[in-house]
Parts: sequence; C-alpha cells; structure tokens
Amino acid sequence: MSDTMLEVRNLRAGYATAKGFVRAVDDVSFSLRRGEFLGIAGESGCGKSTLAYAIMRLLRDNARVESGGLLFKGRDLVPMPAAEVDALRWTDMAMVFQSAMNALNPVLSIGEQLTDAVHAHRSVSRDEAEAMAVEMLALVDINADRLRSYPHQLSGGMKQRVMIAMALILKPELLIMDEPTTALDVVVQRSIIEKIEELRRRLGFSVIFITHDLSLLVEISDSLGIMYAGRLVEYGPAAALFNEPRHPYTEGLMNSFPSLTGPLRRMDGIEGRTPDLLSPPPGCRYAPRCRYARPACSEGGCPGLAPSGEGRLSACPYPMGGRADGGVAGEGGRL
Amino acid sequence: MSDERDAAARPPALELRSVVKRFPLRSLAAYGKAVHAMDDVSFVLEAGGSLALVGESGSGKTTTASVIARLYERDSGDLVVDGEPARPFRNRAESLAYKKKVQLIFQDPFGSLNPTHTIRSILERPFLIHGLADGRADLEARLSEALEQVGLSPAAEYLRRFPHELSGGQRQRVNIARTFAVEPSIVLADEPTSMLDVSIRMGVMNMMLDLKERKGVSYLYITHDLAGARYMCGSIAVMYAGMIMEIGPTEDVIRDAVHPYVKLLKSASPSPESGLARAPLDASGEIPSLIDPPSGCRFHPRCPYAEPRCREAVPELADLGGGRGVRCVLALR
Repeated sequence: MSDTMLEVRNLRAGYATAKGFVRAVDDVSFSLRRGEFLGIAGESGCGKSTLAYAIMRLLRDNARVESGGLLFKGRDLVPMPAAEVDALRWTDMAMVFQSAMNALNPVLSIGEQLTDAVHAHRSVSRDEAEAMAVEMLALVDINADRLRSYPHQLSGGMKQRVMIAMALILKPELLIMDEPTTALDVVVQRSIIEKIEELRRRLGFSVIFITHDLSLLVEISDSLGIMYAGRLVEYGPAAALFNEPRHPYTEGLMNSFPSLTGPLRRMDGIEGRTPDLLSPPPGCRYAPRCRYARPACSEGGCPGLAPSGEGRLSACPYPMGGRADGGVAGEGGRL
Repeated sequence: MSDERDAAARPPALELRSVVKRFPLRSLAAYGKAVHAMDDVSFVLEAGGSLALVGESGSGKTTTASVIARLYERDSGDLVVDGEPARPFRNRAESLAYKKKVQLIFQDPFGSLNPTHTIRSILERPFLIHGLADGRADLEARLSEALEQVGLSPAAEYLRRFPHELSGGQRQRVNIARTFAVEPSIVLADEPTSMLDVSIRMGVMNMMLDLKERKGVSYLYITHDLAGARYMCGSIAVMYAGMIMEIGPTEDVIRDAVHPYVKLLKSASPSPESGLARAPLDASGEIPSLIDPPSGCRFHPRCPYAEPRCREAVPELADLGGGRGVRCVLALR
C-alpha cells in the first residue's frame, strides 16, 4: 500500500574501538520510494558503508546501532529478532559488496554459489534452483555454460555481474550496492551500470548505490545524498544537486571532478582533510574546510538537514545564493 | 607541436619509436609464449610538454612508463631522451645520471614510502645518492624547500614524522617532493592521484601543474581517467592492449575521437554534463589476453565497425595531420 520502501530515521551507529566510540553514522534520515535509485556519495570514512551494513543488519560485532529507526516496508529492522532479519535478507533486500570481486568462494562453482543462495531461502528442487540461476545469469549476459566455471576463470567484470545475479536471484525489492564498480575499468563499469538500470526497469526494485564517484552518481541516480563525517549534509534530486549545490561540501565535491566535455577551468577540490570521528570539530563538521565558514559555524552543535525549498534538504543554514564568490576561475599554467 | 621554432631549438624530451616489450612466460605449459605488453609504441613528448597516456588496466601504460624509466629494458625500438638515444648503461654513473633525469611517481602513496624510515631519511636519500647537497646546512635548506614546494609546511614538523603519521594526500606530496628533489627533466607520473580521496585529488593535481610550470619539466601522465588526462595534459595517447590507438592534442582527441575504442572509452566515462541523455555503449567485452592477442587490430573482436581486413593485419598508426595519429582502417577513408 505504501510507496515508501525504506525509511531511515535519525540513525546513529558506530564502532567501539580501543580509543573510544567512533560514531560513523550520526543522525542520518532519508526515505526511499519503491523503484527509486538513490545515490549516496562521500569520501572514505564518511560513514556510507556503515550505513549500508546497518540497513542490512550486517554490522560487525564491535559495531552497533545506538538509536534511530530503519523502517523497511514499515517494519523497523533495528529491534527485529535475528531470525526475522534472516528471512528478509536476500529475499527482500540484498547487497552487492565493495570487494565483490573477492566475495565469491574460490572453491565453489558459480552455479553452486548461485543455487546455495536459493536453497538457503526457498524450498525448491535442485533443478528449479538451477533454472533460476540460469535465468539470472542470462539477465546479466552470462552464458549458462558458465555455471560450471570457477571464479578464477572469470574476468573482474564477469565476477561482478555474477554477484549482481546472486543478489537479484530471489527478486529482492531493495538492492544495496557498496562501491560495486570501483575496482573495474570504465567501460566495464558503464556496462554494469547499464545492466543494473535495465534490470531495475524490468524488475522494479529500489537501489541504494554508494560510491565516492560523484560524477557517476549524478548521471545514474534519481536522488542523491551527500555524506560528510557521518552526517548527511545534502539530499535532493540528482540533477538539482548537480546544477545548484546548496551545501558547500557538495559544491567542493563537484569541484573535485574535472569535466570531460564542459569548459576547461581550474578546479580546486577541497583544502584540508576529513576530521577524526573520535573527536569531531565543534559546530559544523565541515567548517574547518569550508571556504565560506563564519565564526558561528564552529560553535554549538552540528547543524542538521533542513528543508531548503523545492523538496531539497541541506545542512548548511546559510543559502548558497548569497555566496557570489563561488567562481573558481583560475590563472596560471594551462588552466 | 605548438611552436616549431621552440621545438627546433630544443630536442623533444622523449621520443619512442616502435618500442616493443614482451614478458616471456616462465611456466612449462606456456613455453615459448609471452605477454605482449607493449607493441609498436611510438610517440614524442616535447620538451616542457605534457602527454597523458590513457588506458584501462592491462593496456600497457605502466609498462611503457617502466620501460622509459628503464626499470626494464625494451626488446626493440628506439628510446631517445633529450635527443640522446638510450644505450645500455656501462657503469653506475650512467645509470644514476639517467635516473636523475627521468623520475617516476608511483600510484600507491602507502606502499612507496618505507614505513620504518622518517620523512627526513626518505627525503635525504635522493640528495645523498646523487650528491646534490653541499654540506649539512645546504641539505637542511634543500629538504625544507622540497617539502614546502609541495605544500607541506612547516617542513621541520614533517621531517620528524613517519609515513603512517601522514594522510594519503600528504604521503603522495612527499613522493612528489622526492621526485622533484633531484631536479629531473622528465617526470613519469603513474596514476598519482587514483588512490587518494576525491576531495584532495585536485589539490595534488594543481600542485603538479604548478610545479611543472615552475620547473619546466615534461610530464608523462598515466591515468585511466579521460577527464583527468584532459585537465593535466596538452596531448593524449590512448592505449589498448599494448598499442597506441589514437594520439594527438587532448582537446581534438576528446572532442572528436576517430578510433572506435577511444569513442567507446569516451562514452563510458562519467560526464554529468552529457550523461543524463547519454546513448548506451555500442560495444562491450573486456581487454583481450595479451598472451595471445587477437590477430590484426587488437580491438577488432569488440569493434562494432570491424571489417574482414581488420582481422588480417595490424593497422599502422596513420598520420591525420595536426599532430594526430590513429591506428584504424576507418581513419584511412
């Protein structure tokens, strides 16, 4: 009945370390519609993978969700007993992991690994499971005779497509992909993304696609969330974020990807480095690197996401419009 | 290519003519076979110029840098540096002199600094090995200058530290400082920013551009990222399966690529401006095995325009004029 697939409410999660508790995800909220493609961008250590693992209830032993809710089709995953999560995982929500190239078991054939996933969740015959595996492999353009192949006989791109086939074999409604194409060459990356798009149109699942490559996400996402130091700092339609970023960090990230076809201009990236989450800076966590920071930005609590018009959310209390010095025209050298 | 009088006055920084590099396979099963990592690679890097070598993994771009740095010797073909043909080193002095002239920046800022040494001892080495410092005080001054010109200041603060105490971006800056310490004339940069966090990549790239202007060095910049190549270099050479497929001024090649592989690479590269309405890829597949490379044009098994003759002979790198060259029969029409 509801159009909402997943609602993340004020999620706080982190890791207990020898030096203290690292809150990798801090007060993150967003919602995902059925069939929506949400991109989440951020640099290493911004909490994007922790968020994915928290949604899948796959956090490691030293990690925990402190507070907040993860409503998957209206049911909160956070307090859910493990057995019920097991029943949802893979059948209703599945994940393609960052190290997918190495996530396949080297001593089992592709067919065995695909049918294992089926047998773990459905009581079907071997032939039926194999038929499902063949069907899924066909969807990712891999020939059925590859069922007998072992992972080392496949190229990186094929392994990644096998991982996608495995994630989709039980027709989940939510697919989470954590840097699924980072280790692949651009042509292979593009063909995998085209494949995911085609499958999403055909099967109608929702996608959360996590990567550091904002230039890629802008192209493929319906909505975009930008994370920095554990916080969601901007959220909105992908094209709108690209055309008119409303958080200085989003603008900085956009300024970190040289253009292939646009005008050639000097780009500055962002000065400084991401903060240590053991002792985040006071006030806005981006303030120490922000080119527009005012003294007030480094005081008090970290500003949360607030509506900034046109269905968009930004965690910067100051509108970008007033910052006319946003130009990055360069001098010197070729640029 | 830009200023002919200039080019006449100074020989090109680097010239490769039909360079071939194969790595023989050692196993018995593959007896007599070799990895064809570099085949018929020719290009010119003008003095003070910058050439991007772009390709996917396994295209031979890192082998090309290693052959130029003479980490391995080429099998055949000519390598000319500053107008001088490269010959086998007769002694250590010749080898040192070459390495002082041609420096490499490696991809991995984590693996290329010895973790048990301080930044001081890492940075001192090039000065000591090449005898570039005149006494302790001069060495100190040079160390400080080396760090400060890559944006690491106060230098004394960094000299004391160990690599693990620095971020990835800072480590790569130390690598670059070490590279420039010996005042090279040619810098071979092998994906220097690909392992860095995205927000700090531009800082390192801009610093490299500024250093190039100030020091007048020539860059061979190796990358898989077409947009990054455009940002960094005036010329570009696109490699595929060990061969250069297209070469020329960067803007011309990116704006109107001739080779089907270069078109494919361009259409696959992230580009938000053109992406929302982009056409689907018109070829798929992956780089072929370089042990038994395809006959004829190495791209023909994936090429949507392949003709029977593409299977038969390797096309020459045809001169299109304007500094452009393309290795494709289509270019000959």
